[in-house]
Amino acid sequence: MSLDRPSAQHVESTLMRESLVDKNVIARTEGEVSSILPDVNVIQIGGRSIMDRGRSALLPLLEEIVANQPKHRMIIGVGAGVRSRHIFSVGLDLGLPTGALAALSAKDAAQNAYMVSCLLARHGFVYLEAPFVVQLLPAMLAAARGAVFNGIPPYSLWEHPPKIGKLPPHGSDAGSYLVGEVYGVRSVIFLKDVDGLYSADPKTDSQAEFIPEIRAQELIDKKLLTLPIEPVVLELLTRAKLARGVRIVNGLTPGNLTRALAGEPVGTLIRQ
Amino acid sequence: MKNQNDGLPGLGQLLSGSLTDASVQKATEGAPDFAILPWVNVVKIGGQSIMDRGRSAIYPLVEEIVANLGQHKMILGTGAGTRARHIYSLAIDLGLPTGVLTVLGTAVAWQNAQMLHYLLAQHGIPFIEPEGFGTLPHYLMERNAVVCQGMPPYKLWEPNPDSGRIPPQRTDTGCFLIAEVFGARKMIYVKDEDGLFTADPKKDPAAKHIPRISVQELLARDLHDLIVERAVLEFLERARNVREIQFVNGLKPGQLTAALNGEPVGTIIYRNGDAR
Repeated sequence: MSLDRPSAQHVESTLMRESLVDKNVIARTEGEVSSILPDVNVIQIGGRSIMDRGRSALLPLLEEIVANQPKHRMIIGVGAGVRSRHIFSVGLDLGLPTGALAALSAKDAAQNAYMVSCLLARHGFVYLEAPFVVQLLPAMLAAARGAVFNGIPPYSLWEHPPKIGKLPPHGSDAGSYLVGEVYGVRSVIFLKDVDGLYSADPKTDSQAEFIPEIRAQELIDKKLLTLPIEPVVLELLTRAKLARGVRIVNGLTPGNLTRALAGEPVGTLIRQ
Repeated sequence: MKNQNDGLPGLGQLLSGSLTDASVQKATEGAPDFAILPWVNVVKIGGQSIMDRGRSAIYPLVEEIVANLGQHKMILGTGAGTRARHIYSLAIDLGLPTGVLTVLGTAVAWQNAQMLHYLLAQHGIPFIEPEGFGTLPHYLMERNAVVCQGMPPYKLWEPNPDSGRIPPQRTDTGCFLIAEVFGARKMIYVKDEDGLFTADPKKDPAAKHIPRISVQELLARDLHDLIVERAVLEFLERARNVREIQFVNGLKPGQLTAALNGEPVGTIIYRNGDAR
């Protein structure tokens, strides 16, 4: 190898010299993906739907999590809630870009996650920031009884520009789901303040029908005006390799989480 | 709290409505846009196209960057290149998911950023991690440039691609998003071609150069291969700050300087009209 070679120096691989933007090259990288943590369940605690309600909503839920601990290994993502709405409003008024709003909002979810981890600390749960999720989650799960993480993904300033408006598209539903997908977990369960998915908002429309199970693409095609989860999760589900379904249950109803963990058809299952 | 903040437009709707509600999202469409660093230029140095070539490609480019420091402030992001291709193919063979490939690919872009940083260190130019972006304005004012790795910090949270397993948002996208969030003056990609061609000029001698094209037209052509990650084009279409991106040949001295000076070298991909 000459020290002053004019052309690029390549390492031999199946992708050597290839354009990684080429559709044919990309298609060749399809194949089997293995699950890294197949026995773990991702539980997402909603920000506005659960956390903002305080003690009356959260404590029974945490008791239920602890009661299920001997049977099910859980990692808990937590959402942001009303403080993020406030800072979005101030930030939008100041003209701040989507990435700045995402960086600000992530701190609200971090606060909520930290509170949950304090309440679960005596049961051996630890709080993990994103870098520790990347490096230490398996070790922590071997040593600790469970982990709590910030549901909002660490996109920060690099958050995608949304299709409409300026609000960050990846909130804690997306972040919790993506943790489930990358680790190939057993289940992803969203704890909200509604029984699941309806054909319209049941709070305002008495004709709203309950939907127990639906495919993500079907739900995208319905173009519902409001959803109990972030719409981007539906897009992520259509491209899932491992976490091919998410279950939305009412976290205010005792026993729902236990049933969902046991694989019972409670709430709504959105599948690929 | 509500009473104290009555002056904030849309606060009531944001506090009470569902954020996933299309009408709430729509209401944020008319919010103003403040450019955080309107004078900065984001310059992406290609991985396979520049960094993997070593001294012959990088030394002249470093000289050109240094010569421009007095006139232009730059965020220099790096691509990954052939070592990323190697580890992607290895990791795919091992059955690892896209999020893990992203963690691995980020390390390669990081290595390239470190190398570029060593070459620029004597000019006082720092290397900054995503977590250190708070210090960016200070360094840009004092030293006129910073070096960072180009990958967005998505790590395990990288979404799956439509097809295959390679992370869809890599260093082109990471640098674009830096330009968008800071409202940068320019987004310049330094690669090893004179810009965009009707086909891959490395493989097809009949390929024709395209000096200027709208992102809408480029996407409509549905080309098999592109000069830039598809995610960049999708994001450019709906960007609020970045209006165009420019591609120059880093192997030709003077092209980066010309682009920084606002000259139409290489290829410019622009966003049609102003949707806002």
